[in-house]
Amino acid sequence: MKKLLILGVVSGLLAGILSFLYSKVYAHYLGLDFSSIATPAKMILASAIGGLIAAVGYFLLQRMLGLKGEAVFNLLFTILSFASILGPIATKLPLDMQSPEMFPWLVMPMHLFPALGWMTLKPLFFPNKTLA
Amino acid sequence: MKKTLIVLSAVLTLMAAKVSAQVANWNIAPGYSVAFSTSGDAAGIFKTLKGVIKFDPANPGGSSFQVSIDVASINTGNGLMNTHAKSAEWFDATKFPQITFQSTSITGSGSNFQAVGNLTMHGVTKPITIPFTFQRTGAGGTFQASFKVNRVQFGVGKSGDVDDDIALKLSVPVTK
Repeated sequence: MKKLLILGVVSGLLAGILSFLYSKVYAHYLGLDFSSIATPAKMILASAIGGLIAAVGYFLLQRMLGLKGEAVFNLLFTILSFASILGPIATKLPLDMQSPEMFPWLVMPMHLFPALGWMTLKPLFFPNKTLA
Repeated sequence: MKKTLIVLSAVLTLMAAKVSAQVANWNIAPGYSVAFSTSGDAAGIFKTLKGVIKFDPANPGGSSFQVSIDVASINTGNGLMNTHAKSAEWFDATKFPQITFQSTSITGSGSNFQAVGNLTMHGVTKPITIPFTFQRTGAGGTFQASFKVNRVQFGVGKSGDVDDDIALKLSVPVTK
């Protein structure tokens, strides 16, 4: 469990850093600044929390479903990450913020980064010992 | 000669009276706000306001407003809601790009006034009375108004989730 939690935090931090870099690229190329809403601290914290929840979910699914747990977890993590993009679509920004219709395009990809980070780093934390 | 002088003085008096009755033109200054709200989620602002404002607090009868709002400048804070508001289901911004108000009479005194006129929205024109205040601030002034408009009467959307009566709050600083 401890290793899973570390994986959760590290993959979350990686996702947070990716989100920050992506926001910089987005602001540079589109000239739109949402940095007062999507702050670096929020990005990193939200991603780290997402990673921790993933670690707990993975642990519980492994216990309940055994070998099938991993496949179910990956499926659920992907589906939930994708479903969570509804959040930014429904978000109401302050009225002085320009181009609110472009805000979801900044934040939606970020919602997929924690899953991406988890699936990227997991083989490093739990390498497959057997090959079919 | 005496007759000529009398006629001349009468003409000058009339001209002077006309000059004194001329009402000042005011320019809409940056920092204006045209906000709308309902009891629910539908709330926001229109970012663009243009118009000709002729106003003299001492001579409201000679004053007039002709203002317009770009429908496409609506901002609810949510991109999806903005698109929805501009669609044919609501304001139909492509077909009816502007909301206009043309006053027909202005009455009042002190700082409290009423503008009676025609509001055109979504291609429908209806008479409306807008109570407003005017406060002088140095060389300029600020108009403020709060009133309600029944959107259904103008064919903007249908009765349902959003209140029929939309509350409007205007704050318009002006300069000469």
